[in-house]
This record gives sequence, structure tokens and C-alpha cells, in this order.
Amino acid sequence: MITRWVVRRLDDRLGVSPALRTGMNRVFPDHWSFLLGEVATYAFVYLLLSGTFLTFFFDPSTVKTVYEGGYRPLHGAEVSAAYASTVQLSWDVRFGLVVRQSHHWAALLFAGAVVVHLARVFFTGAFRRPRGVNWAVGVTLLLFTVVAGFTGYSLPDDLLSAMGLHVANSVLLSIPVIGTWLAFLVFGGEFPGAAISQRMYIAHVLLVPGLMAALIVLHGWLVVRRRHGQFPGLGRTETNVVGPRLWPARAVRSLGILFAVIALCLLLGGLVQINPVWLWGPYEPGAALGPAQPDWYLGWVDGALRLYPGWEPILFGYRLPNMFVPSVLLPGGTFLALYLWPVLERLWTHDRRPHHLLDRPRDHPVRTGIGVMALTFYALLLTSWSLDVISRYTGIPVFTLVGVFRVGVLTVPLLTGAIALVLARGLRDSGADRLSEMSWSGLRAGWRRRREEDTEVPTEPAPVADLEQPPAMPEDLEPVRVEPGPVP
Amino acid sequence: MSRHPRPRLGRLALLLVLGVVAAVTVAGRPATAQPGTDPARIDRGRTLYQASCASCHGQAGEGSQRGPTLIGVGAASVDFYLQTGRMPLATEQQQARRGPQKFSQPDIEALIGYVAGFGGDGPGIPAVHAGDLGQGRELYLQNCASCHSSSGTGYAQVGGEIAPSILQSDAKQVAEAVRVGPALMPEFSDGVLDQRQLDAVVTYVGELQRLPDRGGASLGRIGPVSETVVGFLGLALLVVVVRLVGRRTS
Amino acid sequence: MSDRAVERWVAGCFLAAAACAVGFVVGYVVDSGPQVTGGLLGAACALVALGLLLWSARLLPDGTFVEEREPPAPTEADQDAVTEALGRGAVSRTGLLRRTFLLAGVSLAAAVVVPLRSLLSPGSTHPDRALSETDWRRGRRMQTREGDLVRAGDLQIGDTLTVFPEGFPEADDSATVLVRVDPRELRRPTARGAAGAVDGILAFSKLCTHAGCPVGLYEQESRQLLCPCHQSVFDVLDKAQPVAGPAGRALPQLPLAVDHQGYLVADGEFQGQVGPTYWRHA
Repeated sequence: MITRWVVRRLDDRLGVSPALRTGMNRVFPDHWSFLLGEVATYAFVYLLLSGTFLTFFFDPSTVKTVYEGGYRPLHGAEVSAAYASTVQLSWDVRFGLVVRQSHHWAALLFAGAVVVHLARVFFTGAFRRPRGVNWAVGVTLLLFTVVAGFTGYSLPDDLLSAMGLHVANSVLLSIPVIGTWLAFLVFGGEFPGAAISQRMYIAHVLLVPGLMAALIVLHGWLVVRRRHGQFPGLGRTETNVVGPRLWPARAVRSLGILFAVIALCLLLGGLVQINPVWLWGPYEPGAALGPAQPDWYLGWVDGALRLYPGWEPILFGYRLPNMFVPSVLLPGGTFLALYLWPVLERLWTHDRRPHHLLDRPRDHPVRTGIGVMALTFYALLLTSWSLDVISRYTGIPVFTLVGVFRVGVLTVPLLTGAIALVLARGLRDSGADRLSEMSWSGLRAGWRRRREEDTEVPTEPAPVADLEQPPAMPEDLEPVRVEPGPVP
Repeated sequence: MSRHPRPRLGRLALLLVLGVVAAVTVAGRPATAQPGTDPARIDRGRTLYQASCASCHGQAGEGSQRGPTLIGVGAASVDFYLQTGRMPLATEQQQARRGPQKFSQPDIEALIGYVAGFGGDGPGIPAVHAGDLGQGRELYLQNCASCHSSSGTGYAQVGGEIAPSILQSDAKQVAEAVRVGPALMPEFSDGVLDQRQLDAVVTYVGELQRLPDRGGASLGRIGPVSETVVGFLGLALLVVVVRLVGRRTS
Repeated sequence: MSDRAVERWVAGCFLAAAACAVGFVVGYVVDSGPQVTGGLLGAACALVALGLLLWSARLLPDGTFVEEREPPAPTEADQDAVTEALGRGAVSRTGLLRRTFLLAGVSLAAAVVVPLRSLLSPGSTHPDRALSETDWRRGRRMQTREGDLVRAGDLQIGDTLTVFPEGFPEADDSATVLVRVDPRELRRPTARGAAGAVDGILAFSKLCTHAGCPVGLYEQESRQLLCPCHQSVFDVLDKAQPVAGPAGRALPQLPLAVDHQGYLVADGEFQGQVGPTYWRHA
């Protein structure tokens, strides 16, 4: 009764019933791995909420002020307003530390969810036509995630993040020709410069979140417009969508996932300490602390910086800074490869047809192999970011670890990529359902196929004629065929 | 008045002056502990030394292939190494680690006295008083944090050695380590950190030890590395939740 | 499990969530700390999540449906119509207007980029000059961050100290690390840097030549400086030459002298480029 009354009133004013009707009945493909993007989005929502709370307390200025609060060792000390307001938020504002910590945990979870989601999209080939634009939007979101995270934890002007800022300044300086100007323009002068704090603040609370929100909306709209891809299976073709309706089960489930993500952020924020800036101390010229690491989503760059040997060749009479290759070329190349991947794959497979049926990883063994190789490479770089901590707690000399990882980072990815390739091929050709069911002969089949396939350049994918007609459905499924438009 | 009170008065005055001088000297001295000169103690020290130390440090403390010289190391060094259980070493190690104290306090004092007899003058056992907490925080961050970490949990050094955690040391041990510079640690002598600054640093270290972890489980106060491990576990939990509530391919 | 049982579980979750929410408010009011407040609010959200997920999984109607995807591509007719509409109003066939408009647009875009130069704060020196200069001058005394001046006799062998030019304790690029070694070690044939030393006291720039972090760790036994950021190691007895790690250049040495009052002073500027390498003539 009440619902009908509400719907009536809404319709009188907004005329939304037709749209709501289509929307609520909308059919979409459903698989657990399709929920990862949702997890990332909800982490972003929590970041916006908790971040807004933080902006009511945080003062981004580096002007010196006297801290007078509950943290005794700092009481009466003259520190920057950014640092003082952060310590005050942590020690003197009720619930302030929970919000601050949960915000930081949410950032780590957000970056992780984005990467896992990207991996899912990659391994299922969901970036193929017509979703190439959405892939580019997603990669841009990944880039902004890293920028948002870095600017965020560098805001409190503490010693740990200041060391990271030093490194960031050096990264800019190491760029040939334009590096010195770039560094000076971004920082407003020589390190630390007077302006970096307020510029990072504006980037972190306005520019980057605004752009990310817009891109996430675009990202979601493109998914809705083109409909989500689906795994091949009973009744599924390239031209239909098989799955549940949005309302009510899936919408309520989505709400549940939102609360689950927020719950995890809050529980971690209250129960596990993260980034205790009062211990790290304020930034002071000449001070340092060990160990010093960035957050994990920059760990692969930091690991590369630790592993790359001390080469500084002379090019055209100029000294090429050591940091250029590991901290500019490597990340630049990574993102370039990510952006270009759909194009590169299209050039390799000559497959220009639109795809709405997703691949299982085994359906495209080369892509799977390359993906596993890349993941291993970046995972090893990330592990290298913690070598000094590993050395501290295992007693293994740090340079022994550096030597092992230098070799490992170049060899292990090739090994894991090859293993993934062989396994994927074996699964595909033996028809086994999963790895545990595959026999040795299936594995050998995957290995042997390699020589035959190398000589073939696939001109067309496997014939899809049989996929256009949906196969006969068993009686007990009883699907309802729905035309787009008003539901009968 | 008879003539006697004057000489008595004079002697009294002399005694008074001497007493004041003695008191001022004892109170004002930055306190280097007097090595015991009691012969029984020296004997005890010799016995202990021959049994536990001479094989590596030489009969007269001159050192050997297996242990450095003890001539002129100073009371602070001996006290530090013995109190923290780093010495005596059972087996040859690259870097002695903290362990249970192996000698009783009187035995340690006996050894201090005996080693002092080898000659030289190293730093004596420093006195510690309450210091300025804020100044200590700043000095700690400038001088100590890069090796021992801001949170005091310690950090790796080059050859597999470490700058150990300082969260178990008492005030005297911290002061001794600062003055002595044991193993690969540089020393901070009186010219670099005077008594007032030493007191401040020691006070801050004590505060670090007492400080509750306001944010929750401290994860060893290591920093982003341990935080990432927990973050990945959280992410794995979310993936598990999503796997449980979502559909699987048939 | 029957529907009724699931319903009771879901209701139980929501009730427990409400209780946690109340507990959270109480905890906040009595200031019981981050663990209690964060834990209770988190638990409340987790219970709501559990209830919603159970509800959606077990109690709400579900099913498999089939729908056609939207028409994949617009028809050719549509594309022709759009192309034709876009061409409406084409005035000249020479494309004069189009080309001049493009020129105006490109010029404007290029012009708008130029004010980025203003990002360099007023009063800031030219990058090349700023990077090659520090605040050290010949004869300038050195102070700790606390403001104490340094005499040669203050440092014992094995001591280390961070100093700045007198009057410039905030100068990040002028941070200098002093170490004192045994003067006899500096006289060995393999040692270098003795010329700038005073009584075995050596001074080097504290900024790592790799990525600019302060090289804070001095290992007394091996006479090495270790940078905590990426583990560059510098040999103090060999003019701070890098012996391990990713640094490619030595830490520039600051030559030392003693003034007539006995204070340590700089005897010139840093010998080499301070801080991380940037693109410049070798």
C-alpha cells in the first residue's frame, strides 16, 4: 500500500516508473568474480565518507605551530600544522583515530581490489571489443589510485612520508632534459619547497577524487550500456544475456557487500594500528628512519630501485641518473603496456570481432602465460621492497637477498609464465574440468602442441556458428525469454 | 674564653670545609663508578675472568683472534655487555645478541673492577636522571631513529648484523650503549651528547617502551611492510566472502 | 534450513547490529578508546552485512532469465544520417574556416600551458643554480639542529654527528654527516679523503646520491654509511665511494678546517654534486 503510494507520488513528479521497471528487471550475467569491481567501488565510497570527516580536522599547512595535546612526547613542540593536526586527530579527537586508520586501510584494500579486478578482466579477455575504451578508463583509474594513495599518506608531513617525498622529487629530477624543471615546478622550488603540501592536499581531496568519481561513473555506465560479459555455458550466446534479475536478490546482495567492505575497514581501523605518525616523528631536515618504505602499491617501484645496480652511464656527454630506468622507464612502460594491451592482442590474434562471451584462462593460453609472468614479476619486485625487513628478522644479510632477487626477478617470471602456459594448454586440450582432474597425458598434450601452434598464425577464431543458436534447454530450467522494453 | 675553643673551632671549620668540598665533589661529578679496590673482589674478578673471558680476550685483556682487546674499554662497556647477557659468548658469533644475564650483579661488579685493572680509561657507567621528554624525542629522531627505527624495534645493517630493538633495555643500559657504542654502533661521547641530552634521550626511550599502541595491534611497529601483510589478508577475506555469495560456473 | 529459521537468523543479525550500534554510542560517550568504538561499529556493519547477504541468498526470489543484448551496432542508415548531419553547414570547400579555427585552438592550448611556469614559487632560483649550490661557505661554522657549535675535540673516534651550516638548520640540501675515524687509517695507501679531514674527522653530504634520503646509519666497525631507503653503502675511508647498493656516485666530501677559536668550519663547498643525480654534463 505504502509502496504504491510512494511510487505514484514519485512518478507524478519525476516520471521514473518506466526506467525503474526496466532497471529492476534488468538481466545481467552473474559470477562471483564479477563482484570484485563492486568491492573496489565500495571501498572508494568508504574512502569518500571517511575522507570527508578527516578534512574537517586536518590542516595541510606547513606553518609551524605548537602542539598541545594528549600525546606527551610531542606536547609543547613546534611542528608543522599538518603534523600537529594529524597527531591531534589521532590522540585528542574522539573516534578520530578510528576514522583516520580505517581511511588508510580502505586505501590499501581499494588498491588491492582494483588490481585483483584488473587481473580478472585480463585473464577472461573482457577488454576485447567493444570494451577497449572501458579498459583504458580502468587503467586510468588504477593510475589515479596510486596517485591518490601517495598524496594521501604524504599529507601529515611525518618523517616516513617525507623520505618518500624525497624519493619522488628525485624521480622527477632523474628524467632527462626536462627533469630539473619538472621537479621544481611540481614542488615549487628545491626540495622540500613551500608549495608541495598544499598542492598535494588539493590533488588528494579535490582533483583526484573528483576525476576518479567521474571515471567510475563512466566505467559503470559503459558496463551497463554494453552489458557485462558472460562465461560460455548453457543457453548463452554472443547476443544474449543470461542471469538473474537485478531486483530484489542481487540489489540486496550488493548492499550486503557494501556493508561488508565498510565493516572490514572499520574493524581494521579500530583494532589494527596503521601509520602511527606520532612514532615516526615530524619531518626534519637531515633526519631519517629505517626501515623506510612506501605503501604497497608503490612497492614494486621501490623494489626495482633497490634491485637495480648502481649504473650511471654517460649518454651524449650527459650523466643518465641511476633512478631513471627503475623509477621512470619501468612504471611508464608498465602503464603503456597496460593501455596498449588490447591493441597488441588484436594485432597478434587478428581477431576484430566483438566478444561478449568471456574466455576461461585456459581458452587463451598465451595470454594466460603472459599474465602470470607479469604478475610474478611485479610480485617479486614488491617483495624486494621489504628485503631490509626480511634481513632484520631472518638474519640473512641484506645484500645476499638483493643478489638472489636480482636473479630471481629476471628468471622466475619466465618459469611461472611457461608453467601457466603449459597448464592452460593442457586443460584446454585434454578437456579436463579442473587442474586436479587433468592427467599426465593431458599435460604432455599441452606441451607437445606448442611446436604445432607456433607455425600457425590464427586468421580466424574457432567457428562460432553453433554459438549463435542457443542449444535446447532442459525442461527444469524454464527460462523466461524477455524482450528489451516493458516486462509483460 | 680559654685558648682551647679556638683551635677546636679551627679544626671544626676545617672539617666543615672538607665536608662541603667532599659533598660537592661527590654530588657534582658526572659520576664515574669507582672500580672496587677490595682485594677479595679483585680475586673473584680474576677467577671469573680466567674461566669465562680469557680464552677470547687474552690473559691480560690484550685480545686475540677471537675477541677484541679489553684494555681501556671502560666500566660502562663491561657492565653493558654483561648485564644484557651478550657476554660471555658460548660460540663465536658475528654479532652478540641480547640474552639472559649470566652473572649475578656482585660478580659483574667484580669483573668490572678486574677489567679496569688492565689500564686505559674508557667511559664509566653513566648516571641517568629524568630528562626533557620533548628534547629527547627530537634527539632520538636525529641520532638514533635511522638505525634503531623510530619505533625502537631495530633495523638491519649491512652484513647480516642488526641494530637491535631497544624496547627491552633499561635506562642504564641505554645510556651505556650511547656512551660506549658497542659493536657496530657509533658512540656518542660527552662532546656530542652532553649529560642533559643523554638524560633526555634515555627518558624518551623509556617513554617509547611504556607507550601504549593507541591504534590497536601494533604489528611489531615495523611500518608499511607488516601493514601490507594484514591488508592482503583483509583483501583475501573479501575475495572469500565474494566467492561464497556469488555464483560459480556450472 | 527452513525459511523460518533463516528469517530468525537474519533478524538476529540485525538485532545484534542494533545492539552493537548502541554499544558504540556508549563507548564513544565514555571515551573508551579506538578499539572499543571501532570494533563495535565495525561489528555492527559486519552483522548488517551478514544479515543482508543471508537474506538475499536464502529468502529472496531468484531465477535465471534471458534477455537480448541491445542492438550491437547502429545500422548503416544511422551512420549515414549522422555523417550527413555533421556535414550540414559546410560553407567552403577549401576548408579555410576549419583550418584557421584549428590553428586558433592549437595556439590557445599551447598558450594556456605556459603559465604552468608560475608553479615555480616566486623567489625560487633557477633549477640548475639551486641544485648546484648549498649554504656552505668557506669559513662557515657548523651547528647541530639544536644550535650547538662543534669543536674538533667534541668528537671521539667512532662518533658521528649531523650538522648544518651555522644559521641554516632548516637547509635540507646542506645536511652534513660528521664521522671521526682513527687518523692512522686515513694515512693508509687505499684511503682517500685525508686532505679534507681534521684529526680524522671527515664530513660528507648526508643526502644519498641515489634518491636523496638522509644517509643516517653509520657502522662504526666497518666505517661504512648505510642509507635506509634502498640500501646504498658508502665507504667512509674511500671518500664515501659507493661499495654496494644502487648509488652510482660518492657522497660529496666537505673539506674541514679549524678556526682560530677551535670550532670546526667548512673549508670550501661540497666537492661534487649534492643529492640525487640529475641530467647534467658529466
